[in-house]
Formats: sequence, structure tokens, C-alpha cells
Amino acid sequence: MQIRDQPLLTEVFSDPALFRPKDESAYVCGLSSEHRVPRVHNWESSLPGVLVVRVLDQSTNEITVSIGDKTSKIFLRSSSHLANFWKSLNRSSAYLDITGLSHHVWAPLLKSALSQSVKLAVVYMEPMEYRFSITPTEGEIFDLSERITGIAPLPGFASLRDFDGDNICFIPLLGFEGTRLAYLLEQVQPPGKKIVPVIGLPGFRLEYPFFTYLGNQSALATMYRFSVNVTFSDGG
Amino acid sequence: MISPEEKRNIQEQLSQLFGSYKAEWLKEQMFDLFTEPSYFPELLTARPCLLIGGRGTGKTTVLKSLSYEGQFVLRGRDPKTIPAWKYYGIYYRVNTNRVTAFQGPELAPERWIRVFAHYFNLLICDATLRFLEWYYLHFPTSPPLPDVACTNVAKSLNLSDFKTLRELGDGVESALIEFEAYINNVADNPKVPLSIQGSPLDILFEGITNLPPFKGKHFFVLIDEYENFEDYQQQVINTLIKHCGQLYTFKIGVKELGWRRRTTLNENEQLISPADYVRVPVMEKLESAFEEFALKVCNDRISRVSSGQESNAKTRDIQTLLPNLSDEQEAELLDHTGVIQRNCIEQIGVTGIHSPEIQEMATLEKFFLCFWANDHSKPLQEVLTDRLANPSEWKMRYGNYKHALLFALRRGKAGIRKHYAGWNVFTQLACCNIRYILELVEQSLLLHLHSEKSITEPVSYVNQTLAAQAVGKKNLSELEGLSVHGAQLTKLLLGLGRVFQTLAADPSGHTPEVTQFHVLDAEGSLETNADVNKLLTAAVMHLALIRLTGNKPQDEADTREYDYMVHPIFSAFFVFSYRRKRKMLIGADDILALVSRPKATIRRILEKQNRLGDEPLPEQLRFFEQFYNADS
Repeated sequence: MQIRDQPLLTEVFSDPALFRPKDESAYVCGLSSEHRVPRVHNWESSLPGVLVVRVLDQSTNEITVSIGDKTSKIFLRSSSHLANFWKSLNRSSAYLDITGLSHHVWAPLLKSALSQSVKLAVVYMEPMEYRFSITPTEGEIFDLSERITGIAPLPGFASLRDFDGDNICFIPLLGFEGTRLAYLLEQVQPPGKKIVPVIGLPGFRLEYPFFTYLGNQSALATMYRFSVNVTFSDGG
Repeated sequence: MISPEEKRNIQEQLSQLFGSYKAEWLKEQMFDLFTEPSYFPELLTARPCLLIGGRGTGKTTVLKSLSYEGQFVLRGRDPKTIPAWKYYGIYYRVNTNRVTAFQGPELAPERWIRVFAHYFNLLICDATLRFLEWYYLHFPTSPPLPDVACTNVAKSLNLSDFKTLRELGDGVESALIEFEAYINNVADNPKVPLSIQGSPLDILFEGITNLPPFKGKHFFVLIDEYENFEDYQQQVINTLIKHCGQLYTFKIGVKELGWRRRTTLNENEQLISPADYVRVPVMEKLESAFEEFALKVCNDRISRVSSGQESNAKTRDIQTLLPNLSDEQEAELLDHTGVIQRNCIEQIGVTGIHSPEIQEMATLEKFFLCFWANDHSKPLQEVLTDRLANPSEWKMRYGNYKHALLFALRRGKAGIRKHYAGWNVFTQLACCNIRYILELVEQSLLLHLHSEKSITEPVSYVNQTLAAQAVGKKNLSELEGLSVHGAQLTKLLLGLGRVFQTLAADPSGHTPEVTQFHVLDAEGSLETNADVNKLLTAAVMHLALIRLTGNKPQDEADTREYDYMVHPIFSAFFVFSYRRKRKMLIGADDILALVSRPKATIRRILEKQNRLGDEPLPEQLRFFEQFYNADS
């Protein structure tokens, strides 16, 4: 059966302390300087049966993981490395906590887990609030990313062929940082009339979608100019 | 009065003709609107060319117009003309999202070179085979590419033994798919057939140029956005450029300072102009001819706007729609309440000098004489007497100061403090950038329409100024997304803009019209100097700053040896002069600190110029008040 025919419904916890992974599962997570990440592991001492795997280093194409005292490197552009990683955990189910993981890390891990039929749930801890930038500019309302590191294909997802412009639709999922959208448009240069930006609703907080509009207004204005063309789509 | 429907109709046309600035967004309409720049013939020779220019200078348009698809549209989509073309161009844009896949710890650098060279062989072979398919679609009876040529190309690409053009085309396509899978699993070190750099291209173009329709024809490989290649990838292509021979050649589009590697794969082998390639710097080539070129582009587009108000749109002239303003006229406009004039008359009256020559002077000149007396702590009576005795000397002095004084007339006041109006001014703001001139014209005409004016009437000075401010603001906002340094560039520009705005508003006791700067090395700090170099390079590449070539050093990469100026497109937004005038020195440390600690650094730079940093912000800058006040 296709993955899309096996939906896993989202479980929401109002307090992170209420979350407990299943015993005898594996829990893969990143390290981050953000204060929200370490709090995930309040349960760690009380659940010794859970195998905690920490991603210590997140380089562009390889990661370093630690399981207990052992550390090992995994190439992200390697189906065999990734498959061996999941197999080596030897657990009936696993969690992939993407809160502290970069997109270029969790995406290949997830792809591999799905292809290995790992019974997997993804965990994400949303922040209560964002800190406003003390030197705000139009596309930088909150103090989020320090800088753009550039654009590169996700490991394992590179597409090297040129497609006919008429057959391409560019669908950016917008966040607060309008700079990212502007940078993507500049680099990818998708056909002007086939860009469909998506703003998720409802936001974690009521006002968040408006900040998304605000942060992206410059790029959106360039794209749409006179036409206001917003459609509500039910994702359900 | 213009009807709402008519207004909407014209707005949409303007947006289509002037608003689709990006060649990438215009698609085929780009060719309908194509105006040949003066340097175009230089690109048509069989020699490699390097087209160097900032974003919006028309590189993509020019390269695409050289492509066979572009030529087809430009020549009226008439297949009969194809065999008579002197050249056929194959266009390729360097896509960062693809080329960045060719690096990483999985392979040694030498292996990446081979892998990338093979990828480039596949890409250009694929694009060239598509061209052949297109050609045979129009001329099915034309002699086909011989089987032996197809087989040789296939062998050279290390593919199976494909015999026909169709088989070869399909084979290259599936080789690209396999290659994609290889890159996505490169750490598993799967086997992949590789080819020798350039070899399949040589064989393919030899086969093509041996065919009767293509004998004596040139083939151009058109590579756009060369700066997107990784450094080693530039060396790979440089090697091809250096050794490509007679069968085909390269036409490269690159941003200023985006050609980071000048050597081939042999580090001792440099590409030198004019021996190895023709250098075509767009800004330098267009400098004297830009106004004429821009006029042609804009008049062509404005003549296509159809409206019910005018019988003959063809006669529309953008220069007439955007009238100029002399300095004296502008002073009258800025002093619309007459306060400055009354004040000057009062001061002059007190001196007891009632010369008709002085009484008949324009307000701006009277203001200048009062300013001069005050600035030099001299009695106004003495200044006026000297003015009457030495008119030619004072005319020159007035000429040096009058434009600068316009920035001080409405210092600290609400509303417009300085006008930016006139076709001639707009071309200076655009600084040889065709996209900027289109933006300025479009914004002006849109504001004009919003003011319920007809497209047949000239645009007011106020609307032109507001348009120039809006274009400056728009480009400032866009700067953040242009590069990985975007956020830093925005902050640098906000800092420098504020510095030059304050200098302009307070000319008293200072050199007038300081609009440029030279960066002083940080003593003993190589790291600071390297960081400044990186920042300035990015700023020039993405048009936050322009480098002035007057004192061009020997080594083009020696960033700190140049003089710089905030790009004039931002001058209306910040309110300073767009003219290239006098310069000041800024320390390398301060350049970096403008980004990290803007408030304190702006104050420090201004103090060095004997100004205070407490000048009220112009209205359009209030959005950034928090930025300027932050004690980060």
C-alpha cells in the first residue's frame, strides 16, 4: 500500500512534558542551541528502554550520530548508509524529532525510513513565541536565521535535468522570513505565472499568518503586482 | 478625467510592457520587445565573449536573443530564414540548485572535476541534439547526422552504441536520469560511465558542421549566470573556453566580480583578454549610449500602450512625459510657501544694497549668497559687493554649490525634501541598468494614472519623485533576497544611505556633494580587510554599490583599491545626490560595523565629517526608525 494511503494522524500535546515515546522505540533527534530542544528529553532517564540517537553534527552531506558512547558518520547521499542506520537501531518503531534537525538532514532520513518500511512518527515542538529582531528590516521581522547559507538540493533529492518551463509549477511554503522566498525566486527563476505560494492556516498563534504576509510582502508584491489572488484551500 | 476601466486597462498594459522586468518572466514576449544594444555586433564573432554586467543590465535578454529559439522569434518565426542564419546559439542557464550538487566529502576534488565535466558534456549534447530535432522538424528532408557521428558521440559519452539521432537523443536523456541517480547516491560509489571533458562536444559539433546546411556556420554555447558555478566548475568551463577550437565557441553572461576563477584546470594557464576572449562590460559599453538605448526601449514600449485618449500612440515620447526641472525651478518648487525667498529678501534688504542684478536673481542664488556669508562668517553686505564686482568668479562658485544646496532648502521638513524628476535624471539614477529605467518609468506612469491624469499629459515632478523613492525602496527590500549576503547588504546600504543623506542635508562648512567613498585598510587586521573585501564584492555584484573605474587599479580583484558610491537608484529614497562628485574616507572597520552596530557607527562616521547624527529621518525612511535607533 502507498504511504499516502496510510495516514498517521497528528497527536498534539499542549505541554511537552506530557509527551512520552513508546518504550523500546528509537528516538532520533538533533542538538540545537534553542532552549526548546533539550526539554524534549525530560523523559530520557525514566524511559531507559528508548534508544536515543543524537545527531551531533549536521554537515551538508554527512552527519555524525551518537548512540550511547558510540559515534558514527552517515553519508546523506547514500541509500545504503541510511538504510543500514535504520536497520542498526533494531527497534520496532522509531521517532524522528525534526525540531533540531535541518531540512537537509531530516528529509533524507525520512525518505530512507519510509523506503525501509520503518514504523516512524515525526515529532516537532513548536515554539511558544519568536524573538523580534532588534534591527528589523522588511523581510526580517523576527530574530531567526543568522544568514542564508545558499541553495542546494536536499541530499538524495537532486534533480539535474532541465524541464520545460510550461510543465513546471513552483510551490513555496512560506515562513516568516521573506528573504528566503526572495532568494529562492532569484535563484530558481520559476516561470512568473506558475508560482503558488502557500501560507499555512491556522498559525501556531492566531497572528502568525499575518506576519508571514508581512515578511514576504516584497516578494509577493513583485510576483502579483495588481492582482490579489488568495484562495483558501482545505488541506483535509 | 480618465474612466476606471480605461485606467485599469492602461495599468495592465504598463505592467506587461514595463513591469515584467525579468527576461525570464517575459518568455517569448521578450523577443518582441527586444532592442539591440550597441555592443551586440561584438558578440556575433566566432570568438568567446564575456558579457559582464549587473542584475538588470540585459545580459539574459541578449544571450537568449542569440539562441536559436530567440533568433526564430526575432526573425518573424519564418522557417525559411533558418538556413540563412550565420550562427545558431544553444542557451544554458547555470542553475545553482543543480551545480551545488557536485561537491562534498564523498569524492576527492579531482573526481568531482571529472564528474562535473561529464555532466556538462551530457547537458550541452542534450541541448544541441534538441536543436537538431527542432531543425529537422522544419526541414525533414535535410541530410541527417550520419550514423557514424551518432555512434562516435555515444562512444565518447561512454554510452551504448546508438546509431541514429533519435536513439542518441533518447540515450543522452536516459543517461542524464541515470546520472541523477548516481549523484543522489554518490557516497555508495556506484559505477558511472564518464567522458573526457569537451570530447563529445567536439565530435558532435564536427558532425554537425560537416552537414551541408551548417557548413561555415558558427555555433555558440550561451552560458548565463556564470557566477553560479562553483570555483572549480568555472575552471572546468574556462578550460573549454580556452581550447574549444573552431567548431563552436562560448558566449558567457556573468555579474560583475562573478568570474572568480580566471585560470583553466591548469593553475598556470590564465584566460586573457583579448587573446582568449572578448570582454564586453555592459556598463562601460553602454555608458555614452545608454540614454539613447533606454529611450529607444521605452519609446518602443510606451507606443504599444493603447488608450482611447489618443489617436496616434506611436508619437508618444518618454522624454516629453517626464519633464526635467532646472535647479532654480526646483528651488522655487521646494519653497512653494515662499518662506525662503522672503527670508533672503529680508536679509539682503538689511544690507542696504538694492542692486537690480541681485533683486532679479533666482531664489536659489539669493539663498546661496546668504548661505555663503553665513558659512564663511562674513557680513552679507561684503559678499554681495564682491558678487557684483566679480560676477564670473561667483557664477562658478554658485555653479559648484547650487545643486548641493537644494538638499538643504527643506532640511528636516516633512514631505518631499528634494525632487528627482526628468528623463535625464532617471537615466542617471538607473546608471546603465535597463531594468531600473523600466521600473522608474512604470512607477511614474502608474502614480500619474492614480492621480487621475491622462497618459498624454506630462507626469508631475512630485509623482516622478515619489516613483523614484518607491523604486529605491523596492530595490532595497529586494536586496535581502539576492544573495547569501543579502541581510548584510541591506544593513550596509541602510547605514551608508543614512550617512550620505545627513551629509547632503547639512552642507554648511563642508565640501558640497560628497557622494563617494574610499575604504581605508584596517591596520594590521588581515581578517577585517578580507571580510570587507567579501562584503564590498557582494555589494557591487548585487548593485548596492557601484565601483568607480576612474582610479582603476591593475588588479581588478583588488576590491579595496576602488572608490565606491551607493548605487544612484537609492538616492531618491535616502535623499542624496545621484551625481558622481566628491569622496570621503571610511575605515574598513566602520564598513563592517555599519552592519553589526549601525547606530553607533553612523554617528562615528558623521562625527568624523563634523556632522551630528541627529538629523530627522525623511518620511520614507521612518519605516526603518527602529533599525536606526537600535543599540545592537
